[in-house]
Amino acid sequence: MREEELPYKGIKGIPIIKEPGSAAKVNRGSWRLVRPVHHSEKCTKCKICYTYCPDAAINWTPDGPTINLTSCKGCMICVEECPTDAMTEEKEAT
Amino acid sequence: MQQFKTLKDLPEQDYFTGGSSACAGCGPSMGLKLALKVLGPETIIVNASGCMTLLPLYPNTPLKASWIHNAIENASSTAAGARHGLDMLGNKDMNVVVYAGDGATYDIGLASLSAVAAKNERIIYICYNNQSFGNTGFQWSTATPYGSETKTTPRGKNNPTGTTAVNKDMVKIMGAHRVYAATASLAYPVDFLNKLSRAKERDGFSYIELLGACTAGWNYDPRLTIRISKLAVRCGMWPMYEIENGILTLNKDFSELKPIDEFLKLQGRYRALPQDGVDRLQVLINEHWAELKEYNGQRYV
Repeated sequence: MREEELPYKGIKGIPIIKEPGSAAKVNRGSWRLVRPVHHSEKCTKCKICYTYCPDAAINWTPDGPTINLTSCKGCMICVEECPTDAMTEEKEAT
Repeated sequence: MQQFKTLKDLPEQDYFTGGSSACAGCGPSMGLKLALKVLGPETIIVNASGCMTLLPLYPNTPLKASWIHNAIENASSTAAGARHGLDMLGNKDMNVVVYAGDGATYDIGLASLSAVAAKNERIIYICYNNQSFGNTGFQWSTATPYGSETKTTPRGKNNPTGTTAVNKDMVKIMGAHRVYAATASLAYPVDFLNKLSRAKERDGFSYIELLGACTAGWNYDPRLTIRISKLAVRCGMWPMYEIENGILTLNKDFSELKPIDEFLKLQGRYRALPQDGVDRLQVLINEHWAELKEYNGQRYV
């Protein structure tokens, strides 16, 4: 990245982040080697995947979990912890 | 006081978003996400330098609560200052929470932590314990358990054990300050959030120590974060208890502990620990567990 393109260019003093939760739009999907896939027919809506996601990439809706693939880093905790195999893993296309 | 019984009772609002620069499967970042569910947006998080300092990187932050970062030794003093400032403004609802690693708690920040605890300031101190100085590359801290390999205590011909020192019993030290001190685990989020909501209601200092499994330092597959956290509790490596006014309560009581092997074999930091090291670690764990069982419900410190 060139110096003119740096996000803090031109800021004097302590930079202040004004928008809470602004990291949500940062794409961490490129970190993934495998992606989680949710199968709603096997899901018992136990909320385990939603609670244990370290990056809050699994959002909860009344119909069950939805996976936000922009934030998901592919740690596969949800796949490992799902008691009914409703989460499976799939290789990312390289 | 909010009390939760199952995972389904936990609050659905999140004040933590993805997109941070934490490792995939990071335990401490999961702990912060869970903590903010109970603490809510009206929280000032005071952070001592460590891995979690890198969550808000300008111009992005995954947090929807205020965040102060300061030097590794004075997070508690900063929090006490923030609390006094809020008191002068007449603000009683704001939570002041310290989120610091074990290096900042056990070693470098112990003086300021002890002073603030002795004054019984209304602060919640959460220590995410990854049993090392994780951010700088997994060096030995006084929280590192016996037998673990770190960058500064490597295994070699002369020292096959790695860490030969026994880790500090920090919860007991904090319990001796006559405050609320408890241990928590990521594998038992309901228990962790119940302890937090109890700490939130208390008019005094609370210390909660969370075992934050560290995928890079402990050297395991990120998908095992929860399984390893659970095994740490089941094997007695991380017993779940709380001390209030010197009285000990064991939260998760097991008639028999699992052998420590099950916890060790999943992690790279214990690879090549000789059998006599495993036996010694098992003895240390059994002694601690027997002590907790003996003093359960009684005055401990």
